[in-house]
Amino acid sequence: MSFERPRATNGRAPDPFTIGGWTPMREYAEGEPVDFLIVGAGAGGATLACKLAEKGFSVVVLEAGPFWRPLEDFASDELTQEVVYWIDDRITAGDDPIELGGNNSGRGVGGSTIHFSMISLRFRPEWFKSRSKLGYGFDWPLSYEELAPYYEEAEDALKVSGPVNYPWGPPRRRYPYRPHPVNAAGLVLARGAERLGVKWAPIPLATVSAPRGKSPPCVYRGFCNYGCSTNAKQSALITWIPRALHAGAEIRDLAMAGRIETDPKGRAQGVEYFREGGWRFQRAKNVVVAGYAIETPRLLLNSACPRFPNGLANGSGLVGTHLMTHAGPGAWATFEEEIRWYKGPPNMAVTEHWNYTDEGKDFVGCYSFMSQGPLPMKWAQTVATSRGFWGEELQREMRKYNHMAGFVPVAETQPRQQNRVELADEKDRFGLRIPKVTFSYSDNDKRLQKHSVRFMCDVLDAAGGYDIWTNYQDTSHILGTCRMGDNPETSVVDGDGRSWDIPNLWICDGSIFPTCGGVNPSLTIQALACRAADRIQSLAAAGRL
Amino acid sequence: MSERRPRDRASKLLGAVALGLSSAEMIEIARRGAPQAPSAPPPPGPPAGKGMLQASAALLAASVLVDSAIEHYRGSFRNPGMYVPLLSSTLALLSGVEGAATGSEPAWRPVRRSSYKMAVAVGAVGTAFHFYDIFRRPGGFGWLNLFYGAPLGAPPALAVSGLLGLCAEELQNAPDGSTKLRGFSAGRVIAALNAVAFAGNVAEVALLHFRGAFQNPFMWAPVALPPVASGLMAKAAVEPPAKSYPLTRIWLWLTTVLGFVGMGFHAYGVSRAMGGWRNWSQNVLDGPPLPAPPSFSALSVASLAAVGLLEEEARDALPEDKAAA
Repeated sequence: MSFERPRATNGRAPDPFTIGGWTPMREYAEGEPVDFLIVGAGAGGATLACKLAEKGFSVVVLEAGPFWRPLEDFASDELTQEVVYWIDDRITAGDDPIELGGNNSGRGVGGSTIHFSMISLRFRPEWFKSRSKLGYGFDWPLSYEELAPYYEEAEDALKVSGPVNYPWGPPRRRYPYRPHPVNAAGLVLARGAERLGVKWAPIPLATVSAPRGKSPPCVYRGFCNYGCSTNAKQSALITWIPRALHAGAEIRDLAMAGRIETDPKGRAQGVEYFREGGWRFQRAKNVVVAGYAIETPRLLLNSACPRFPNGLANGSGLVGTHLMTHAGPGAWATFEEEIRWYKGPPNMAVTEHWNYTDEGKDFVGCYSFMSQGPLPMKWAQTVATSRGFWGEELQREMRKYNHMAGFVPVAETQPRQQNRVELADEKDRFGLRIPKVTFSYSDNDKRLQKHSVRFMCDVLDAAGGYDIWTNYQDTSHILGTCRMGDNPETSVVDGDGRSWDIPNLWICDGSIFPTCGGVNPSLTIQALACRAADRIQSLAAAGRL
Repeated sequence: MSERRPRDRASKLLGAVALGLSSAEMIEIARRGAPQAPSAPPPPGPPAGKGMLQASAALLAASVLVDSAIEHYRGSFRNPGMYVPLLSSTLALLSGVEGAATGSEPAWRPVRRSSYKMAVAVGAVGTAFHFYDIFRRPGGFGWLNLFYGAPLGAPPALAVSGLLGLCAEELQNAPDGSTKLRGFSAGRVIAALNAVAFAGNVAEVALLHFRGAFQNPFMWAPVALPPVASGLMAKAAVEPPAKSYPLTRIWLWLTTVLGFVGMGFHAYGVSRAMGGWRNWSQNVLDGPPLPAPPSFSALSVASLAAVGLLEEEARDALPEDKAAA
């Protein structure tokens, strides 16, 4: 199966709900400036494209990867499904280089929501003012209260299946769908947490627990991190994108953006992109970059021109800096009873105890942690790399697979200037300079991880696990690098995602997060995109676009 | 786990005992039940509704039989006790069918009575088991376990089937034309039983349709219509019998039909699961339960029987009233 030819052409786009199906798609001329040209069709770009198109703006989306039809394209195979990752060359550096290209990347319409864990948690309200209220990081230029209605909108768009009463955070409206049954791996967390007197909850997940339109209820197949082949997962591909197409947006798949062009007045005027064997140019009144924390700064830096020699939107010099990741050390144990942790979504139970408790910490920052369900290949890889097992020893360990359970946190790291994305001298197949990603944990980050590992071990022990061991190598989301703020000197964009330097250049993805909190970011990215769309509409109405 | 295992074993042991007892009971029923003499013709003019009562007991037992078979198969019959409701509901079903079809063959009466008594007992024990299943899960008595633990509303349905059957038998036993159950108005007793059963059934449906987020607007129908039936039955139980109940009858026919329409909707629900009916072997297990909605029909038929008894009672009472006047 080859995806090297674009599918969304000639006035039609693939229908992700039908094998071989198509859906009509409006097309725009490259020479005519569209209202919004969005680079990236993931959680940020797809959401914004949908919302803007529904508000009547003309929208074109450029996506570097293919346009999937999950029912026919996705196999139940860990290796084959690496096609959903973005595994182009990058250079990593620093004391704790981040492994790139797997779970922290996404290439294809839907972006990394194609393979995300579907965990749809809101940020703790205090995190929006973490400098003023918690004494670390930076304040966001908006408050929880401002974002709350958009959280609700995003949760409804994804029909998040969550507990009837979620035990953390301010009062909220009930999740649109009910929680999924918790698998045995999740019940390990539940049992341990209850014995330690700590609250736990079934995780609010963006996979439906009852039918929704053409989405069947989740069948607990377990390949969520490799692409959902049933469309139960409410990825951007099957939620925002169909709506965007219906509202008149055009999605161009296999279209790699290389450079944002600016006009002599210093305004963005369009994007040069590679598609179907050649470089093309799409004119636009506004350009939105939604490529996530590595591709977004890379595109801005690669778009340097005589007028903006340090890259676009980089008057502050902050583009690419303050890269954050969620550290994901693991704690694992063997259990006497069968767990079969591959069943169901990989993460089904959570405790946000240490997100909402500030006492008893020898660090600043927060973490939540979730039950895990690595598939066999991934698990063998974890065991081999972190314990050095091989051959017979590895085989012996793998025989315990159905009796294993464990936890991994979403552990906040501090935004620090030296952790950054820059351009390397090497170039990729498009002739574009590839990113160099430098990352090191601070002492605080390390203390936070140690604390989380200690606590997770306690929970495993309380749940009856034995032969407990830990590893410190994994990371998950990557955030920051184009942070938003109130001040052009100390931020790249304002709270709407609008760049301070170039008023018709916007950013809408996880790169604008000033801090990363202790939960998965996709819901917050989508809420920010919903809010940005409303803000853009009001700015347009006021003639300030 | 060290604490879980003995508890697990104990519950399995209890289940095995329940299975043993019910099997022994079944053998006993079969042994006693063989008709000794050629059967006499059915007694003339049984009060209206007795056959209907037997039929409703059978329909409810059928619903329980299929439902518990599917659900307990889904649970791999992990506990031997999970076979018990299958045995008991089969007996109740056969008794109900036999009772309704033959106009209550007296020779089989002991069999039917024993089967119905067993259904009541098994329903009660099953309810206790299902409660235990919910409380033993992490999180205890909370939404998650109410959604996905053993359904609390299911075993009582078997008990209700047994009670309806026993009422029918009791009436059969009574002198010709009597509408009294051990001195009480049969119509009112059965109406009261149905009022409660409807309410319990609605609670169960409300819980499970809430679990399904009422994603289809028609999912509101079985939580909207039957409460009215429950209310009408409660009213009939407390008020003196009337000569006729036209509105009640119309409503009960509506809920009778609703049960079967609901089965159609559940079949549609199965088609919406991944693979639809082509993947029936998984989707019938995990989709909306096909045999559940007809339980409303069963209760509606039982309620219609109660209404019939009440009307009869009112007619019987009439001449005396006139005499008194």
